[in-house]
Amino acid sequence: MSTTPALQPPSAISAVSTIARRELSSFFRLPVGWVAIALYLFLAGLVFIVATLQPGGPASMREFFTLSGWLLVPVAPAVSMRLLSEERRTGTIEPLLTAPVSDTCVVLGKYLGGMFFLACMLLPTLLFVAILYAVSSPAPDPGPIAAGYLCLILLGMFYLSIGVLVSSLTSNQTLAFLGTFFALVLIQMLGGVGEYVPAVSRDIVRHLDVLARVADFAKGVIDLSHVVFFLCGSALFVVLTIVVMESRRWR
Amino acid sequence: MTAPVPSNPPATDTQPTLSVQGVTKSFGRVQAVRGVSFDLRRGEVVGLLGPNGAGKTTTIRMITGYMPPDDGRILVMGHDNVRDSLAARRCIGSLPEAAPLYAEMAVEDYLDYRARLFGLARADRRVAVAKGIDRCRLHDVRRRRVGQLSKGFKQRVGLASSLLHEPPIVVLDEPTDGLDPTQVRDARAMIRELAESRTMLICSHVLSEIEQMCSRVILIAGGRVRADGTPQQLAARSADGQLFTLEVRSRDGSSRHLEAIFMKVQGVVDVLESNLPDGWTRLKVRTRADLSDPRERLAAAASDADLVVRELSHASASLERAIVSLLESPEAAA
Repeated sequence: MSTTPALQPPSAISAVSTIARRELSSFFRLPVGWVAIALYLFLAGLVFIVATLQPGGPASMREFFTLSGWLLVPVAPAVSMRLLSEERRTGTIEPLLTAPVSDTCVVLGKYLGGMFFLACMLLPTLLFVAILYAVSSPAPDPGPIAAGYLCLILLGMFYLSIGVLVSSLTSNQTLAFLGTFFALVLIQMLGGVGEYVPAVSRDIVRHLDVLARVADFAKGVIDLSHVVFFLCGSALFVVLTIVVMESRRWR
Repeated sequence: MTAPVPSNPPATDTQPTLSVQGVTKSFGRVQAVRGVSFDLRRGEVVGLLGPNGAGKTTTIRMITGYMPPDDGRILVMGHDNVRDSLAARRCIGSLPEAAPLYAEMAVEDYLDYRARLFGLARADRRVAVAKGIDRCRLHDVRRRRVGQLSKGFKQRVGLASSLLHEPPIVVLDEPTDGLDPTQVRDARAMIRELAESRTMLICSHVLSEIEQMCSRVILIAGGRVRADGTPQQLAARSADGQLFTLEVRSRDGSSRHLEAIFMKVQGVVDVLESNLPDGWTRLKVRTRADLSDPRERLAAAASDADLVVRELSHASASLERAIVSLLESPEAAA
């Protein structure tokens, strides 16, 4: 036997980043990644032209951000459906789960990989911002735009965390997509049903109303409670995913 | 959790590197593994045999840490693979059945990714990936996507990826599946070479392969170990009994009926006689499986009858037949 590398498992950070990087690069090696980006940019561009780029209209991207929240409803499941379902379907989950990395690292790596991909998808929309700056005088207020992007990132995190949980439950990508999609549609609709539910639960529904929070961000208001809501919600679903992964080993 | 494992394990050859202690595993109501125990040592190449659904893959999956046992425990280089799972997993290189790989990745990238997952530093990684490519002859396909490769190449990529961290224990599920005959020969040579400083556990359906590569065979059926020993021992334990070849000639050159002489020896169940030139007679003697080596008794019988013996050998019984009969006999539990 010649060189034997030191037998030490990778650090948690290195494990998470290894998995996240592989995930991200796979998105760009597969058609699904490019199709998702193309569809998103096409629709986002349409929204931008129709809602924002109006002669004489206010130089703000408020409408763009509001509608982008809706655009994430089909996009987030398309990104998340692969994360764990595909691994289970193709069997690559076995070498992954027998590598010296914890289930927590696996889930976090997968989740972050998807998150980076969403970020890459949002990156080209900065072009819209540049266009808006070029064509409008006076220049648009940067505050609401920054708040809008923060909102999209937070919303993406939240939706993706739901997606990764659903993805951990099934080896069927279609099922993972549909399950996440309907869950997200339901969440989006919660705001609308608020007035029809009994008074007791009305408060709960109002708290879960994602669209109202997005609307605040789009106005340029960064409410800390909104930020906490999205972060805690994401953390909750990611932790649930870790629990699912660990419990699946015992079955 | 991340206690470093000494790269040169203190384990002597008498200390097991892998110890499976009474593990059980159920899936719902189905008991897949019902108390399997064995110890493996350095330098051993062990074949895990058994019919489909015998619990082989489940046993392997418990060893590699993919799923924990319901009961019992598994020690990998002294690490409990549930309580100290990461350290245990670090000591094993495993190739799951059908070598699942990421189809969209290039061979080199995949190997680098695996090396990274096992915590190899950049310099070690480059060396390990180059060695893996070399070892499994992947030069021509190093930049190809895994999904475009033939089954044999995929298998080799999987094998290369399982050895990147130079694990002391290697677990291979159907390692020569999908390889052509030349590749099978190469793979066998590689496994033999690897075995010198490692413990190898190989699951295969190809009996001849197990017979050629493995120094020890563990037969699993119905979730239990049914037999454990060298291929020769297993073959000998066949319910068909043991087979001996005897070539004799009477001292005076007269041709006598020799069958009766050997039928009287304790344990002999059948004698088949055939005449050879120059007065020699070849006898195929079958003995009962449960008795100790009867060669001494056969030789004594020959000398009592004043026969000249020029050959007395253990005819190798087929492992295949032995295994079939071991599996068919319900009382043959090890």
